[in-house]
Amino acid sequence: MTFFTVVIRGLWRRPLRTGFTLAGISIGIAAVVALVGMARGFEKSWQVGLKARGTDIVVSNRQGSLTPKPFDASVRDQIKNLPRIAATCNILVEVTSVEDSDLMILSAREWGGFAWDNLKLISGRMPLSATEEAVVLGQTAADILKKKVGDPIQIETKELKVVGIVRGGALVEDGSVILSLPLFQGILGSPNQVNAIDVRVTPSTSEAQLQELTRQIQQRVPQVRAVTVSEHLSHNEGFRLVKAMSWGTSILALVVGVLGVMNTMLMTVFERTHEICVLLAVGWTRQRIMRMVLYESALLGLFGGIVGVTLGAIGVRLLAETPAIRELLKPDLGLPLLALSVLIAVMVGVVSGLYPAWRSSRLAPSLALQAG
Amino acid sequence: MTPSTASAAPLLQAKALTREFDDGQVKALRGVDFSIGEGEFVAITGPSGCGKSTLLQLLGALDRPSSGDLLYRGESVPDLLDPARYRACEIGFIFQAFHLLPTFTALENVQLPMFESDRSPSERRERAAELLRLVGLENRLAHFPSKLSGGERQRVAIARSLANEPTLLLADEPTGNLDSENAHSVLDLIIRLQQEQGRTMVLVTHDPTIAERAGRTLRMMDGRIVSDQQSAARSAANGS
Repeated sequence: MTFFTVVIRGLWRRPLRTGFTLAGISIGIAAVVALVGMARGFEKSWQVGLKARGTDIVVSNRQGSLTPKPFDASVRDQIKNLPRIAATCNILVEVTSVEDSDLMILSAREWGGFAWDNLKLISGRMPLSATEEAVVLGQTAADILKKKVGDPIQIETKELKVVGIVRGGALVEDGSVILSLPLFQGILGSPNQVNAIDVRVTPSTSEAQLQELTRQIQQRVPQVRAVTVSEHLSHNEGFRLVKAMSWGTSILALVVGVLGVMNTMLMTVFERTHEICVLLAVGWTRQRIMRMVLYESALLGLFGGIVGVTLGAIGVRLLAETPAIRELLKPDLGLPLLALSVLIAVMVGVVSGLYPAWRSSRLAPSLALQAG
Repeated sequence: MTPSTASAAPLLQAKALTREFDDGQVKALRGVDFSIGEGEFVAITGPSGCGKSTLLQLLGALDRPSSGDLLYRGESVPDLLDPARYRACEIGFIFQAFHLLPTFTALENVQLPMFESDRSPSERRERAAELLRLVGLENRLAHFPSKLSGGERQRVAIARSLANEPTLLLADEPTGNLDSENAHSVLDLIIRLQQEQGRTMVLVTHDPTIAERAGRTLRMMDGRIVSDQQSAARSAANGS
């Protein structure tokens, strides 16, 4: 028999209670995995989408929501001649409802801009001119909207025609309705308004030079923010809100987990007062008693973490298949997130066990002789 | 161990030991003095509430005196920096209610005190099995306490008390929860082991017939030792 056997035996003493506590932690950890995994998946999908378009820097309004606020398209003229800028493309993107779909990315791109280059036609054709009343759909968007080439599509107040289905090389691109910028500006009645400028730099540009370029852009046009693609979402207010909400909900779930484990461990200590006193009487040190209680709660956390990560991963897969978000974003459940979740669960266990462990170590061994 | 060697070097020495509870309203011990030599078998008797068990708790460092001192090999027990080590290595407890842990088998219960020793898990297991053989329970190693009779449980507790080869055995009414037949055989076992292994034993009992089997009897009343006598058997043996 090892010390570990003693720890396991302590948990096994009340299998039902241990099971319920495990379920509590598991649900908390599953929430962490699901919410954070989805948020990270969203971030990653967006970045991959931008990279697929060949964008290195995104210039947008300083006051950003999930889709940044519009600014005047003439900003582009002020930055396009900066060194190491190879190309620029004005963009007006909105996340809005289109017909029966509540959440659709509407991506209007400067006619002839590089953001069209990555689109590969699967069927139909590309719009013939900047003013043709036509859109192309990413293949996922076509699936969600149940559209095929030749179908009409209602965009804001205007009925346009689907002329082509494209593959964009990224989930965000595949989930978008893509049209020419002048056409969309006309529909919105706001000519010259854009809310992002995609910037492509020359191939030899280093990371340091890229950062320097973002500083130069901001110097030249103080009212905009220029960030590299990898930083783009972390500066986005809307996404920061989504991320904060996902972590906030996760922390709430974890606090509930901590209280659950602490309650269980406290009950364990109260129930086992006699047992702990006997162990003290036969020579166990207070440190060993504390270690026993802490190991038990840490083990609860570990098992809860493993079950929670499994549940979370399954839950996220199921969520990702729901019509509202199907293929719009792919959850990012990388090993680091899963490992972090298990680590958090163990920490939950340890933190929850601290007070019960301290209580257990304060017990007087003389109670062992008094108890019948 | 003979009385002469016992008196030569006291293993335990109590000096004006008191223990009060409830801010002095309850005086369990009111100044107790005695010496116990190594290898002695001492019975402490007296009516309920006379302070026997309180004294035993002080001897085993389960509690601290309110005043006075208790020396073990000349060292103050209340001032020990590591009382757990004293309990683990020097003391073996045998309780009236056995106090075996219900979720551990007989073999595992005996191993519990050995976690504070340097023994490896396999050594602990071997030692526990050997001790259970010694108390006649070689066929009950894997039994949980709930599957053992009262006598068998006390035998497991005796084996547990010997786990770390303690110098001093402290037994609190060890036969109090047993029927007379089991009580007799358990007492025989305790005394046989004490004598064979030359351990010092302090046994608390209110039963004069049990006390008679000890070499020396301290009788307590109202928190004081009122008599300290060699048993008739021992006196006769010394006289012959």
